[in-house]
Amino acid sequence: MSTTIRMPEVLANVTEAAVQKWLVAPGDAVEVGQPFAEIETEKAVVEFAAETAGTVLELLVGEGDSIDVGAPIAIVGEAGEVALPASPAAAPAAEESDGAAPAAPSDPESGAPVAEVAAPAVDAAAIASSAAGAAGPVAEPTPASAPHDGARRFVSPLVRRLAREHGIDLAGVTGSGPDGRIVRRDITALLEGGAAAPAAQAPAAPTPAPAPAAAVPAAAAPAPEGVEVVRHSRMRATIARRLTESKSSVPHFYLTADCRVDALLDMRRQINAGGQVKVSVNDLVVKAVAGAFADVPEANRTWGDDGMHVHSSVDIGIAVSLEDGLVVPVVRGVEGLSVSALGARIAELAGRGREGRLTLAQLEGGSFTVSNLGMFGTQAFSAIINPPHAGILAVGAASARPVVVDGALEVGQVMTVTLSADHRAWDGALAARWLAAFVARIESPLSILA
Amino acid sequence: MPQRRRLDTTAEWVELTTTAADWKKADPALLATMLGQLHLIRAFEERVLDLAGEGLVHGPAHSSIGQEGGAVGSIVALRSSDAVNGSHRGHHQFLAKALAHVAQDGLALDALVTADIQTVLQKTLAEILGLAQGYCRGRGGSMHLQWFEAGALGTNAIVGGGAPMATGNAWAQKEAGTTDFTINYFGDGAAQIGSVLESMNLAAAWKLPVCFFIENNLYAVATRIEESVADTRLSVRGQGFGIPSWRVDGMDPLAVHLAMEEAAAVMRSGGGPTIVEAEVYRFFHQNGPYPGSAFGYRTKEEEAEWKKRDPLDRVAREMIKRGLIDEAGVASVRAQAIAAMDAATAELLEADPEKQGRRRIRPELWPDPEFVNVGVRGDASELESLRVLDPSVSDAARESMKFVDAVAAVMDRRMSEDERIVVLGEDIHRLKGGTNGATKGLADAHPGRVLGTPISENAFMGLGGGLALDGRYRPVVEFMYPDFMWVAADQVFNQVGKARHMFGGDNPVPLVLRTKVAMGSGYGSQHLMDPAGVFATSPGWRIVAPSSAADYVGLMNAALALQDPVLVIEHVDLYNEKDEILAGDLDYIIPPGTAAVRREGSEMTVISYLSMVRHCAEAIEQTGADAELIDLRWLDRASLDWETIEASVKKTNAVLIVEQGAQGTSYGAWLADEIQRRLFDWLDQPVQRVTGAESSPSISRILERAAIARTEEVVVGIETVRRSAGGAA
Ligand SMILES: Cc1ncc(C[n+]2csc(CCOP(=O)(O)OP(=O)(O)O)c2C)c(N)n1
Ligand SMILES: [Mg+2]
Repeated sequence: MSTTIRMPEVLANVTEAAVQKWLVAPGDAVEVGQPFAEIETEKAVVEFAAETAGTVLELLVGEGDSIDVGAPIAIVGEAGEVALPASPAAAPAAEESDGAAPAAPSDPESGAPVAEVAAPAVDAAAIASSAAGAAGPVAEPTPASAPHDGARRFVSPLVRRLAREHGIDLAGVTGSGPDGRIVRRDITALLEGGAAAPAAQAPAAPTPAPAPAAAVPAAAAPAPEGVEVVRHSRMRATIARRLTESKSSVPHFYLTADCRVDALLDMRRQINAGGQVKVSVNDLVVKAVAGAFADVPEANRTWGDDGMHVHSSVDIGIAVSLEDGLVVPVVRGVEGLSVSALGARIAELAGRGREGRLTLAQLEGGSFTVSNLGMFGTQAFSAIINPPHAGILAVGAASARPVVVDGALEVGQVMTVTLSADHRAWDGALAARWLAAFVARIESPLSILA
Repeated sequence: MPQRRRLDTTAEWVELTTTAADWKKADPALLATMLGQLHLIRAFEERVLDLAGEGLVHGPAHSSIGQEGGAVGSIVALRSSDAVNGSHRGHHQFLAKALAHVAQDGLALDALVTADIQTVLQKTLAEILGLAQGYCRGRGGSMHLQWFEAGALGTNAIVGGGAPMATGNAWAQKEAGTTDFTINYFGDGAAQIGSVLESMNLAAAWKLPVCFFIENNLYAVATRIEESVADTRLSVRGQGFGIPSWRVDGMDPLAVHLAMEEAAAVMRSGGGPTIVEAEVYRFFHQNGPYPGSAFGYRTKEEEAEWKKRDPLDRVAREMIKRGLIDEAGVASVRAQAIAAMDAATAELLEADPEKQGRRRIRPELWPDPEFVNVGVRGDASELESLRVLDPSVSDAARESMKFVDAVAAVMDRRMSEDERIVVLGEDIHRLKGGTNGATKGLADAHPGRVLGTPISENAFMGLGGGLALDGRYRPVVEFMYPDFMWVAADQVFNQVGKARHMFGGDNPVPLVLRTKVAMGSGYGSQHLMDPAGVFATSPGWRIVAPSSAADYVGLMNAALALQDPVLVIEHVDLYNEKDEILAGDLDYIIPPGTAAVRREGSEMTVISYLSMVRHCAEAIEQTGADAELIDLRWLDRASLDWETIEASVKKTNAVLIVEQGAQGTSYGAWLADEIQRRLFDWLDQPVQRVTGAESSPSISRILERAAIARTEEVVVGIETVRRSAGGAA
């Protein structure tokens, strides 16, 4: 008897997910616990293990296609069992009406998340479209790389990865490599076209996001002349959605301060001259943020619909820019970390972010974000709050500027920071006190190390 | 009518037997110690067979029951600094040496088992069971028992494989000015193998204090000695090599002892090697707890006859005759030995909770699976204090020098600074520095340390291995041509490459093997290989392949300082090139993990080494490709500069691996495999390769050229990469 495998709810409250990569192919025998597919959600890629033993009869969705949680993604049956008769679309649909009606906690094979699946109508639609999308003859063992005209498309590993990362649909691409293999050159134009816009933006931080229209399906309107439409990557769509949501639903207000950082830079030089440990300005800024929360502990709170969330440890999100996009991993317990340990932790999380290896736990929680564009020479900017955080500190570059000391003009190293705060959680006075505490820490940097 | 005159060899060859007077005269303490050792070994071996019968010994248990007399008689009077090694049937030799080491004043029969002896028994048994507390941390098991401090150099599962290394150990003992010697034990079967015969010859030629001890038990597995040799008195071999030899009844431990005393006198006094052949008998089959007769290759009657000559009974009988012990005393010795084995066993085994009435290894005693690769080689921390310099980025002044002169110059420099270095190889001491001049001047500058060897690659490679394991000297072995490694393959790969890991991971094998690739020189199918691929896929070896004289200096210095075996590959094409070194500087190292980027580029990554680096540079120039050219320098798995390769491939997305030699033994195959797995998602096309042909290069000039790669082939490779990059220009 065959069993329908459904898109699991890999994260709470995630309603949609995609199979990033099938780890099995039709005909494979699978055991309970064997990695079955990599499931990609907005936040993370997780490995989904088989919960049913048997032989994979059919994969119902292509790699990269988003579908609703709970929708069928594969059929597993007994070895030798020939895949279901007639159209591949019909079969899972029939399964679906069997399985979804009793909402299935009793169905041991379909996995717990199914119980929470919402409207069957949505499911049905999803199946219809995903099954149609996956198409392909039942016996065809070729997963992935959509065999549109029945023939296998050859795509170099590099192009496969780039297409995935940039959300490029290779359907219309002609391969110029051996045997028509799609190689890097064949998509350079697409890549450049796709990368141009975000590159023009500062490539980091929750700064003003691209047009909110980004969330609208690209297929909707025909592209104007001279414009090529490159499908949004999942990350880009997420950035668009979350930041639009933040900017339109969180009441932001902004405070700016100039910090004298001569002493800070001096101290950093000394630390770095001392030993193997290398400390960045950003590490010191993050540590000073934690110091400001120690000085003004009542600021360590975030807005929740159910009530104010008061945080006991200082967990700070760090905006990490990627080739095209950004992630905000959270460093926990910053107050208890030495500067070097903090630096190592940030480097590790940033590295994982760049390799796409952050776990969900590393992306969740926190009360505050630091976004630093100083390395790009940006003097000052203001950033969009990364929900559910209560604030974000936008850090510019330190540069030599005229400063007045005791009525006389001198040259000092100055760094401008802009705090964006959520007015639901912080009021102006609290924000001002917090920012003053931060400036005090930065300007007498030994207090950061203390 | 021609005249005929009978010739004689110069070597003594005697049969030694004991008389009643010898037994009467024998030191009671010596007899007591022999009796105690015999019983301890017998009880030990019986226990091993019991455990094998219970399925608790993984792999073969080659029992020495019946043969204990040969080992005990020959080892009982050795010093700890004398050494032994042996073969697959080696428990008795190992135990005799270990017991002699921990009980230097002999054994007391009324209190046989001291704490030290109990430890020896338990640690040896643990090793045989493959447990972490064993002498080699469970790695070696029954066939690889090593305990350096006791002078047990390590037993060997390749029959005869220990002979060259024993010879090397003897070289070190002699050169260090000691009167110590080494015994190499092996069987009648092993007496036919080349390593043994080569070693006998080398030891005799160089007068090395090594005893070739043949345990002639009449059988090699199930093949009887008459089937294998014309003269079954194997000590006859001494006649051919000029080695004094003794034939002795191995079931009579006193006779063995007396023969060894005579042999020792020869070896300790600079008389060179000896051969002792002991006639012994294993009471059981090759391995396991059944008699040989059960397998039909010998009779029960023959076994019964030999059992009457049991060495334990013989010594006991003679001691009782002299009133040195009584029946009850002998029974007590046996009881003590068995009790000691009970105690050792109890430490290692427990009742199996899953199978009633069965025992099992205590689970906590197994080695950690994580230990599997530890000690394949060292961690190179010995290089930390040395001066690192990369000539490719140094702007220090240069002086011109031919590559081959740099080879000799850096070796001369190191030999002047480091007394331990010895150089071995064929003709390296003559012809103004060997066949190519690579050792020019060394023999004169360093007398006694540049050794022209007989043509016996297995023996002199293994001799180097023995020196390396001993640690007092640093051997540099030269193979005149790389293909000769096949002749020496056992010593190169099974012994030198594996020894560190196999014996537990701690005892290093610092050895440098130099050889030259000679493709293009017309020497044909059996001289012109590139050995890199074979070494890269064999554990333990590090490999360097310098493309310039300045690199050679730094790489050779690193190779000589490393505690691992390092293959240094040279190329005849480079030898006479005008080249340059850093002026007056022969003392820096280029450490593992430092490749050189010879040219930066973004179109493709070309990876090569040795002489092909120059061909690549030429081809890049000719094609105008914007290629990045990486000169690997270090080729082995542990020393490869992955960082440089990865950074380059991530930039170019296309790889061309270039080597000169034949496809089959190629280095690039291994590298391509690693690259495609590490960098799959960065590749825009298959990893492309330039190699020679399938065949080995022939002697005919035209066919040789067709079989190897040079600039023209690299050009084709570059064009293939370009075509595969698409873009249909
Ligand atoms: C080079 C090599 N060939 C074959 C073997 C397999 N083998 C292991 S023991 C053995 C017999 C050795 O006989 P002998 O040297 O007389 O020693 P014995 O077993 O009698 O002690 C053989 C053929 C081996 N280990 N090494
Ligand atoms: Mg034999």
